[in-house]
Amino acid sequence: MKLFHKMTAIILALSTCLLSACSDQSNHTARYRDNPITRNVFAMNTYNTFTVYDDISGDVLESAENQLKALESLWSVTDEQSEIYAINHGGGQSITVSDRTAELLRFSLEMAKRTDGNLDITTYPLLTAWGFTTDNKQVPTDEQIAALMQYVGYDKIFLSENTVTLLPGMEIDLGAVAKGYACDLVAENLQANGVTSAIVSLGGNIRVIGSKPDGSDWKISVEHPENRNSLGLLSLSDVSVVTSGAYERYFEDESGKRYGHILDPSTGKPAQSGLASVTVVGKESKVCDALATAFFVMGLPAAEEYFREYGDIDFLLLTENGEIYLTNGLKDKFTLSEAYKNMVVNVIGQ
Amino acid sequence: MKRIKILLITAAAIFVLSLAFCFWIIRPAQTNTVEIVQDGTTLYRFDLNNTENQQIEISYNGKVNTVLIENGKICITNADCPDNTCVHMGWLTAEGLPIVCLPNRLVIQYIQSGEADAAG
Repeated sequence: MKLFHKMTAIILALSTCLLSACSDQSNHTARYRDNPITRNVFAMNTYNTFTVYDDISGDVLESAENQLKALESLWSVTDEQSEIYAINHGGGQSITVSDRTAELLRFSLEMAKRTDGNLDITTYPLLTAWGFTTDNKQVPTDEQIAALMQYVGYDKIFLSENTVTLLPGMEIDLGAVAKGYACDLVAENLQANGVTSAIVSLGGNIRVIGSKPDGSDWKISVEHPENRNSLGLLSLSDVSVVTSGAYERYFEDESGKRYGHILDPSTGKPAQSGLASVTVVGKESKVCDALATAFFVMGLPAAEEYFREYGDIDFLLLTENGEIYLTNGLKDKFTLSEAYKNMVVNVIGQ
Repeated sequence: MKRIKILLITAAAIFVLSLAFCFWIIRPAQTNTVEIVQDGTTLYRFDLNNTENQQIEISYNGKVNTVLIENGKICITNADCPDNTCVHMGWLTAEGLPIVCLPNRLVIQYIQSGEADAAG
């Protein structure tokens, strides 16, 4: 008899706890919107989405959109009014740029040094020769590539305070770093306006602000390059995640050989490091963006070396033969999708 | 004794209902509805579970994208644009990035994605 009483009491107590836990979750989410406000923007040569769960006014998103478009007008390669256009068409003359542009250039040069030139913002003449900047994709001859290599090399950029000078014939393109830097600036802007739970997505550059409204980690899908299905999910809060690969921007020649848009600055040809995609996770989106491109060029051994030397990021690499390499910090944060549950996952320690 | 049993069964039922309520609260929303948006304007919405196979041509300043819906999936099969990135993106997936044709300002995306909050 007493046993029955006890069991009844225990079951009712458990029910109370369960309902109370659910109620707590409802209270936690009460200060957020059920449906987030979103803003989609075409800018910086990609499709961008801001998703905000805080109860803020539309002016905050308007401000973020304007900021992104202003940054694009500074850094566009093709806009004749941009600072990058002025630098590229300076004919060897020194050009004075804004603080923002100078800061991004300094950062790009620092990352170029850190990655032994595998990230290089001076490959634009080569990209043009391959047709990635025009309507005519083509395979340039070895002679054409060799002739253009004299204009490639981050160490040929002269930057002093806000003054930039390029050798005549050189052209820079901030495509490998600008989205990351813009992502950081937009996120800072949103946070300054009271945003605590949001996703800023600039193409493949993701910056999650805070955690989800229910306090849990955001789930960020890493695409499989072959079919765009989810390779797996990263569970993370308050970080940047940037993925690079050559699986969308490419062309094929008559024989079906594929040429990706990420060039190896040391050869002038599409990078062939054995990697299918690179995902970098870290606090700053600009660092993740720069390293995602650099690692794609460098390949696995050099990426591991970078990690052991600097260790300021985590990464997940998918090799062309279908193996995953991820750093220790992501080991418990990454879950393979059901379709890929048998893939080999190798963990890299520091 | 019988009253105790009834009490115990009632308590167990309350427990099961509480569990069900909690699962219902935290359940992920499932949808298979996609939208085709051009330059900020939604042109079409389809529930892919209930849409017949079809091909749609969408024009933008004289340039055309051909959209294919087949067996509950959607992709762009042809595009009057220089890079054809949107064609290379293949079928739209619930947890992947939207299909985007930048030159023609065309976006195909799920209204609500699957388990993922974002894709990269």
